[in-house]
Parts: sequence; structure tokens; C-alpha cells
Amino acid sequence: MNLNYSFSRIYTFSAAHRLHSPKLSDDKNIEVYDKCNNLYGHGHNYSAEITIKGEPDPETGMIISMTVLDDAVNEVIKQLDFKHLDNEVSWFSDKVSSGENIVRYLWQELEKRIGSEKLFHIKLDETNNNSFETGRKLNE
Amino acid sequence: MYKNQRITLTRKFEFSASHRYWKKDWSEERNNEVFGPCTSPYGHGHNYDLYVTLTGPVDRNTGMIINLTQLKSIVNDILKDFDHKFLNMDTPYFQERIPTTENIAAVLFNLIDGKLSTNTGQVKLSRIRLYEMQNLYADVWRD
Repeated sequence: MNLNYSFSRIYTFSAAHRLHSPKLSDDKNIEVYDKCNNLYGHGHNYSAEITIKGEPDPETGMIISMTVLDDAVNEVIKQLDFKHLDNEVSWFSDKVSSGENIVRYLWQELEKRIGSEKLFHIKLDETNNNSFETGRKLNE
Repeated sequence: MYKNQRITLTRKFEFSASHRYWKKDWSEERNNEVFGPCTSPYGHGHNYDLYVTLTGPVDRNTGMIINLTQLKSIVNDILKDFDHKFLNMDTPYFQERIPTTENIAAVLFNLIDGKLSTNTGQVKLSRIRLYEMQNLYADVWRD
């Protein structure tokens, strides 16, 4: 029997953003993004569920050391927490700070730190009703 | 039309237990470095939430993939040995293994799978999700 093991931990951060694409006219931006296009931005409490896949280490019983994971994720989240994403995080200077792009950003930054072998899945909740996911295999 | 369609069903169970992360052949410093506050000498505890997911065809007569009373009795019987116990000392599973979330989930998968395979025909255990806290869980699943 082939069994798979994963470990998930949820981290939170709060940030402001404005959905606005320079490629679209002002009218089109309002039409596409509606209230999320509000001129001075708005904010969310984001929660990011990070899933690591692998065999539990026979010595420690853990797939990844929790300290290592915490350090990596907190380093990435620190760059977003209590920031205005569009104005203060350079990666978003030429990308819309949509949930899709934030989850892409998290993946890219965490992959650098944790490695693509172990990083398995990220689910980003923007509100209680909106979530965005990326990963090597979506949870069924 | 959907005669052979496979359906999954998930039921949640709860148990409370204490545990300690400690590797005997490591120094105190190394244990503290790797396991942090989880090394406290007398253990500490959690309320665990266990989600048991089964997959199988719907029984034509009952409309169910498994009788939930049967599932409850299988899982609760297994959890009796975990609930209100110190996992390191009161169960045989963690003498050589540290009772991390991953290892507890793996042990529970094997125990539940063992009981189910002998009792429930075509229905299979497909996943165990074990929450140790609201922001931390481990999954074990079959391909």
C-alpha cells in the first residue's frame, strides 16, 4: 500500500491592496474589479495554509522541522504583513495584487526557501468566502 | 447511470491526549533545539480533531457507502486507547517513534484501515486528517 504524508500549518497576515490593471481603462477597471478597485485600496486578514509533503523523518517523526518551516514562512509573510501590497511590495508593482497573484508570489518565495521537493500545496483565504489555491496536486 | 460511481464520506471524531517530543539518544540541548517547547518533561496536551474519509460505491439497498454506526464503533473502539491518555507511556505505538502529528496520523491510518478492510467490503479508507490545533494538521492518504 502506497501511503502519502503531508503536514499543514496555517499562517495569517493582514494587508491592503487595490485591484487595478494599468492595461485597462478606468471605466473597465471599475467594471472588472468593482468595489475592489476603490481608489485608496482596502484590506483583508489573509490566512495561508502551507502544506509540505514527504516521508516523516525516522529520527524526528516530522516531515519538516517546524522551526525551519516557521522561519521560512514568517520571513516571506513579514514582507506582506501590514503593508499595502501594490505600493510597498515591489513584486506587485507590475502585477495586480489579486488572490491568484498573491498565492503565486507565496509559492515562488517559499519554493526558494523550502525547495520544490517538499512544498506541496498553498491555500490562501482572502475572506471567509474567497480562497485561492496552487500546488502540485489539489486536495481532493 | 451512476451505478459504479465512487463517493467519499468524511466523519469527524475527537480525542484529547498528551504527548512529549523527546529523543532519548540526543542531548537535552539537541532535543530543545529541534522540538522546542514540545520537550517539556511531563508532556503537554491537545484536543485532537480526526477526520476519517472513506471511499466506495453506494450500497443499492441502504443508499450509504458505509453504515455510520459501524464506522463510529470501529473508530471509537480504536480511539479508546488514545483518549485521555499520555501517548508516549499509555500506548505501545510511540516507544520508538515520537508522537508527532504525522506519526499519530500514520498510526491511526493503519489501525483504522486494518479494522475496515476486514469489516466493510468494497469501502476503503482513503484519507486521515488529524488536527492537533486549529492551525496545524497532518494528512495521510492512499494513492
